[in-house]
Amino acid sequence: MTRILVADDSETILLLFRKRLEHAGYDVITATNGEEALAALAAAGPTGRPDLVLLDAMMPAKSGLEALAELRGSGDRTPVVIVSAHPGTDAERAQELGADGYVAKPIDWDDLLARIRDLTAAA
Amino acid sequence: VSAPAGTPPAASPGVVDRLRRGLTNPSLATRMRIGFGVLLVLLACVTIVGVGRLFDLRRDFEDQTSQSFQLELAAERLRSAFILQQSALRRPGGPGVAAGRAYREATALTADATRAARSLAASDPVARRLLDQRVEADARWRELIAKPILRDRDPPTPARERRLARAALDADAALIEGQRDARESQREEVRSDTRTTVLLVLAGLVASLLAAVLAFSGLVNSMSEPLSRLVGGARRLAGGDLEARVEVGGPEETEVLGRAFNEMAAELQRTFSERQRVEKMKDEFLATVSHELRTPVTAVKGFAELLMMERGHLTPDQRENVETILRSSEQLTGLLNDLLDMARSDAGRLEIHARACELAPIVDEAARQIAPRIREKGQRLDLEVEDGLPQLHAEPNRIEQVLTNLLTNAHKFTPVGGQIALNARGDDGWIELEVTDSGPGIPPSELPRVFDRFWRGDDSASQAAGGTGLGLPIARSLVELHGGTIRVTSTPGKGATFRLRLPSAS
Repeated sequence: MTRILVADDSETILLLFRKRLEHAGYDVITATNGEEALAALAAAGPTGRPDLVLLDAMMPAKSGLEALAELRGSGDRTPVVIVSAHPGTDAERAQELGADGYVAKPIDWDDLLARIRDLTAAA
Repeated sequence: VSAPAGTPPAASPGVVDRLRRGLTNPSLATRMRIGFGVLLVLLACVTIVGVGRLFDLRRDFEDQTSQSFQLELAAERLRSAFILQQSALRRPGGPGVAAGRAYREATALTADATRAARSLAASDPVARRLLDQRVEADARWRELIAKPILRDRDPPTPARERRLARAALDADAALIEGQRDARESQREEVRSDTRTTVLLVLAGLVASLLAAVLAFSGLVNSMSEPLSRLVGGARRLAGGDLEARVEVGGPEETEVLGRAFNEMAAELQRTFSERQRVEKMKDEFLATVSHELRTPVTAVKGFAELLMMERGHLTPDQRENVETILRSSEQLTGLLNDLLDMARSDAGRLEIHARACELAPIVDEAARQIAPRIREKGQRLDLEVEDGLPQLHAEPNRIEQVLTNLLTNAHKFTPVGGQIALNARGDDGWIELEVTDSGPGIPPSELPRVFDRFWRGDDSASQAAGGTGLGLPIARSLVELHGGTIRVTSTPGKGATFRLRLPSAS
């Protein structure tokens, strides 16, 4: 089963992601900031490794953009989609840092699910 | 109630300061008063000295003239006395007692006249010398002519008598003639002295005026530099340089003006930076609000959508409720986007990434967005895009946003069953778009305010139409960022037309 790691500092949003993504047939693991997300990626064994990462752009401890930069810095090419409540400003930054996708809040789920499908199919 | 015991008023230190400054840098008014005062004193001195000198000259001349006339008169008397002396000697009847008496009377007259002449000629060496000659000639005549005749012994020869008499009379004539000449030369002297005095007075007056002109031009110069500095400062300030300050200087007035100018500039700068700070706070606040509200709206919308995914389990009533939640969250999202755009536009951070693009798909997408609402109100939307339009030079999403805003506006004001039209055509390097509604129109007095933010018309119908009042201002900002224009015309009662001009890519 395709596994997706979601990082967001809002428990409510995490719950929404979990429900919606599980409904669409994905295996979901969550983190509440960039630090935790990177730790989860590092801890995961070769079989339990997420196929895609959804990172909220702004989180305490380590933001999604920072986590993305670190991930790409370490040579990890796992597909990453940045989720942001700052339409416009974060999009360019995400692209520069090597994100594979960008969605703005409130989320257009049809659009997001289509993207996830494309990205995981390619992998 | 007793008055509080006050401290005795101490001499304010400002007074001494002001006095010192007044002495070292007198005010313009003081300088002008001093200048006028000095000028008046100079003019008065020159006039008084000159007029006094003229009076003195005149008096001296009169004194001398009168003395000279008296001396001349004395000389005439001498001549008369001499003639009387002569005639006494020539009395009919020859020398005798009567002749002696007449002669003595005449010599007494001569002595009188001589005394008078001496006292008058005391200050005139030439007259004195002539008088001495006259007295000597008279004495010789008396000794050599009169005495022998009176004694009737050794009478002089007529030639000798004539010669000696001539000497005395000639001396008289010389004295008289001398006084006439002296008066003439005095007159000449006075005339030239008067001329010299008048010239000196005129020169004094001219010099005073010249000094005054120099002093006043100095005064004007002392002002002109600080004034031109002030003008420069005011121009820089008007040009937007809020750092503009002027060097304070010149007479007290321009100093005060300069200080006042600097205070004004500082106050302007302070107010302006305060305003900028408030504007920045407002922009940040709007951005933060827009950002912070996005997360809960995401949750509301997301969970409502989850519910809708299981609509089979919902009663029709519940389904309607969830649909309402969804619609409201979409409105809220639109509002957040508008607020963010407005804040960015105000902060000058609304950016356009223009590229060459086709207009038709943009129009279709905007129409697709509005279609459900148009249907709901039973309205008709006519699209008419000219064939073979050149490409736009624009950011497609933003033009779609503009068209959506204009169509939303038209939809709101067009009554149920009304008609809305969107036309597009090329116009020499531009693409012109028109959105026409069949609503109540906009009164002419309201037209200039249509693009003001939060304007929603005055009548209750337009208030009831709802909306944020941000759609049109955002549309205008976006169009202008594209280098285009947007204008509105309206016939009240028939509807309004929004006309866009956007640059084509060619």
